[in-house]
Formats: sequence, C-alpha cells, structure tokens
Amino acid sequence: MRALRSSGALWLGMLILVLLVLPLVVTSRFAIDIFIRVLLFAFIGVAWNLIGGYAKQLSLGHAAYFGLGAYTSTILQIDFGISPWIGMLAGGVVAMLASLPIGALCFRLRGPYFAISTIATAQVFMLLFLKFRNFAWGAEGTTIPNLGNAPLMMQFEAKAAYYYIALGLLAIGLAITYRIERSWMGYYLVAIGEDEDAAEAIGVNAMRIKRDIYMISAFLTALAGTFYVQYIYFIDPTTAFNFNISVEAALVSIVGGVGTLWGPVIGTVLLEATSALLQSWLGSSFGGVQLTVYSLILMAVILWRPTGLLGVLTEAYARIIRADPEQTRKAALDG
Amino acid sequence: MLEILAQAVVNGLLIGGIYALVSIGVTLIFGVVKIVNFAQGEFVMIGMYISFFLATYYGIDPLLSLAISMPVLFLVGMLLQHFLIRRVLGLGDMPQIFLTFALSLLLMNLALMLFTANYRTVHTWYSDEAFHIGEIYVPMAKLVAFVLAMALSGILWVFLQTTDMGKAMRAAAQKPEVAMLMGINPNHVFAVATGVSLALAGAAGSLLMPFYPASPMAGQVFVLMAFVAVVLGTLGNVRGALIASLMMGVAESLGIQFVGADSGLIVVFLMLLLTLAFRPSGLAGGGAR
Repeated sequence: MRALRSSGALWLGMLILVLLVLPLVVTSRFAIDIFIRVLLFAFIGVAWNLIGGYAKQLSLGHAAYFGLGAYTSTILQIDFGISPWIGMLAGGVVAMLASLPIGALCFRLRGPYFAISTIATAQVFMLLFLKFRNFAWGAEGTTIPNLGNAPLMMQFEAKAAYYYIALGLLAIGLAITYRIERSWMGYYLVAIGEDEDAAEAIGVNAMRIKRDIYMISAFLTALAGTFYVQYIYFIDPTTAFNFNISVEAALVSIVGGVGTLWGPVIGTVLLEATSALLQSWLGSSFGGVQLTVYSLILMAVILWRPTGLLGVLTEAYARIIRADPEQTRKAALDG
Repeated sequence: MLEILAQAVVNGLLIGGIYALVSIGVTLIFGVVKIVNFAQGEFVMIGMYISFFLATYYGIDPLLSLAISMPVLFLVGMLLQHFLIRRVLGLGDMPQIFLTFALSLLLMNLALMLFTANYRTVHTWYSDEAFHIGEIYVPMAKLVAFVLAMALSGILWVFLQTTDMGKAMRAAAQKPEVAMLMGINPNHVFAVATGVSLALAGAAGSLLMPFYPASPMAGQVFVLMAFVAVVLGTLGNVRGALIASLMMGVAESLGIQFVGADSGLIVVFLMLLLTLAFRPSGLAGGGAR
C-alpha cells in the first residue's frame, strides 16, 4: 500500500511537470485549443462530481451555474468596467446564492425527478435571458470587447495563458475535492449517496450537507462559465446555458468514474480525444457524430463498467506493478 | 377578451391531447417497470419520421400510417426492454437514468446524421381546413389528432382494466413480488408495458405530422411536457397523467397568449417549480421509495 502511495506521488509530480511544459513544446493552436477544452470540461466535471458523484444527486442542470458565472462577469465587465478576475468570483457568489432556492426546490425530489427538475431550472434561466432583452442583450448576445493583451482583464494574446488558467482551475477543483473526500463531509456525502434515509437515520443532516456541497459545486461551475466566455469573446443565452454543458459535466464523470477524484479527468481526456479524432477524420461537416459516439461510450460504460473507466485503469495498473507472482496468481484467481 | 381566452384554452386542450399520449407512455413505464424513460420524446420523433417518409414516398396519409408506426414502435419497445432496460433494473438511479438518457442522445444525434436538421412537413388535404364554433377557430388536423389521442387513451384504459395482460401490468406495478408469486412473468409484462408505451409515443408522432414539423429535436418539447405532467399528476397513474397533460397544454397556451410567444415553456417550468415548492408531498417522486 505504501509503495502504491509513494509511486502515486511520483506519477502526480511527473503529470504536473508534463502539463506545465506542454504548451511550451506543443505550439499548434489547434492542439492547445483541445488541451484547453479538456482542462475546462475536466474542471466542470470535477465540480459536477462533488454533488453528482459523491452525493449521487444526478443534476442535469449545471448549465444554470455555468451561464450565471458567464453573464455575471460579462455584465460587470461591459456595463461597469470591472475586471473579469473579480467578475469570476462575483459570478461564483451569484451561482452559490442561486443554488440555495434551486436546491431547496429540487432536493425535495429524488433520483430521476431531481434530474428532471434541474433540467427545468437551467431551461428557465435560458428562457429568461432570451426574453428580457434590456437586461442582458437578449437572444443576439454580445461580443466581449477585445482589448488586445490585457492580463488584468483576463485577455491574452498567447493561447498558452488561457491554458494555464484552465489548468489552475482544474488544480483548484481537484484540491477542493481531495480535501472534501478526506473530511467528515466526504464521508457524509458518500453515506447520502449510498442511502439517504439510512444516512439521516444515523444523524446525518442530509438536507444541509446537500445544500453545502451544491453551493460549492455551483461556485466552481460558475468560474468555468466566466473563463469560457473570456476565451471565446462571445456570450448569448444559448451558449451560456447550453444543455450540452449540463450533459457533458455529467457524462465525463460517469464515463471516468463517479465519486472518484480523477474520474472526471480520465473521462474528459477519453471523450475529448475521441471527439478531436472524429473531427480530424470527418471534418466538422457531420453534425451529430460527436454526441452519437459520446452516447455509445456512455451506454457501453453503464452496461459493462458502471464504476467507470478509472476502475479499469487502476486495476490494470495494480496488476502491472504487482510483480510479486504470488499476488498476481491470487488476483487471477479472484478475477 | 373572452373569445381570446376561449381560443387559447381550445388551442391548449388540442395540443394537450398529444402531450397526454406521451405522458401516459412515460407514466406507464414508470408505474410498471419503475424507470423513467428519458428517450420517450425521441420515440415521438421516430413516429414523426415514419409518417413523414411514408407520406412523402408512398403517399400514405399520416393518420393511416398510425397502423404502421404503432406496431413498429411496439416492437422496438419490446426489444428495448429486453436488451437494454432489463440489464439496469435494480442497479440504482445512476445507470437507470443515464441509460435511457444516453439512448435519447443517441437517437437524436443519429437522426441528425441521417435526416439532417431540416424541418420536414407533410401537407394533407385537411392540414389547412378549419371550422368555427362561434368566434373560436378550430383547426381540423389538430381536432382529429386530439380525438384520436383521446380514443387511444380510452382504449389503453380499457385494456388496463379488463384484459388479463392489463391486470397483470397493474399487479406488477403495485406489488411486483406478489405478482410473481401469482405466476406473472415480470419480464414479459415489462416488455409489453414498454412496447405499449412506445406505441403511444409513435402514435403521438404520427398524429402530429399533419400540422407539426418533424426534426431530430422535435421530441424534446414533448418529453419535457410529459415529465412535468407526470410529476403534477400522480406518478404511475394514467388518469392523472391525462388530466395534468391537458392542464399543461392550456397553461402553455395561455402563457403564449398573454405573456408572449416565447413564454409558453417558461409558464410550464414555473408550474413545475411552484408545484415542487408548495405540494411536494403530493408527488410520489418526493416521498420515500
């Protein structure tokens, strides 16, 4: 076990090093763009995983918080000249506050009905932003003024800068998950995810724990929203509250492995790599190919590996490093 | 003013009949098989395309193609239950939700690849026909769809009440263990329930075709409406789903009439959220399982 852990630290150190030098080695804009997408969606997946993976509250409405983050920072920037760095945190706070009434309503429902009600909340936000034109540009949306290289306004000429921000966000998300996983809250979350009634029976205040973790999850998702609109320089309701964001947040976690630290990361790498390959083979002319493949992967994982691909990888890894023939034989007998 | 109100109510009731077919399908699967079919809207979409292609290439009227879309989707439902849904029963929420959710994504995007995102319409001789009751305008195609939808709902109700299979379904819905002891084969009952549910979705698609354009995303609105209706009515209850669907249709129509053309869905979603806020205990989804 000790050997496993120290080799884990070694791997993590190497991974961080590779990720830090990656944009220095790979300079293709296309490749960096894919890396940024991977980091961003892994981060959104990590945020989703807190509520969806550990507490098993299967939200399909995280686009609500993504969009609120995106709109808060953009409104603050365009109407008040406030830097998106501040706007990002403000967006996180707005999302946290929004998650309170949304959670109060939706957490009354369980399982599929929770999922459906979260879809409804995200859709309501999209419809409201579409309808009220005077509030935030309505359906046309707006471009974000390009200030050239303005690091204080979260605008950079070098794509690598966005890469490092996304990497930083992912690191924050993973660090928070790591801390929560090892705290009393992490155990409560897993207990709620396993059986909410039983958890309440032994004295876990399920409503409070769910509310708290939902706030954290909403906050992190909103940060991603701000980053995304700053990166693409454009916002409109269908981009900011896109259902596909809710879907992908859940999808990467489930494919990688729900309720695990690295699951969403593994899931995103796999799905985005598949998507990039498909794009380079087929071009972007075939609408629907990407989601067709995603949904096939998702079905395959659910039917054959409900614990996600992380489980497959760790088993394989454990089998490789266990050079001890006695243990390999045992593992073979077990398997 | 009163005429506008009455017109909005009539419009709502007419489309509500279609919502009812979809909702009854959702509630039937939920009641018997105990899963929520997120892909129900995509089977409406498939029903629409079946009728569209039969009308375009063979000149078959969409109402006649009910006789094809319903059996085809019944068969699809049996196979779906047998090969996919059966494998996740009893595995907890996550696999159950995301299996049918993945199926929904798959069917939608396959349709996008095969049929493109273009809107497809079928023009029948009654598509533009309408008659007036006083000041109220009643489009023929919608009225026919409504009447047939109500008839199908009635037939289903009779089927559930009087036939052996219908009784077996209700038994499996209420006490699956006891039903098994009575010699009811749950797998067979589940397959028939899913088949009937999908046949209703297919019927909804065919009935929509004379006045509603088919597209890969067309099913989305209907399944969202159905979910709300199923939460509003009591889960697993066919009559509740029917009444709630008609209400949703009227609520949406009033929203469109009095709040704005893009506000129908807002009204519906707000209805859902308000219900959750004020009447959560009345909903089977809110109680203990």
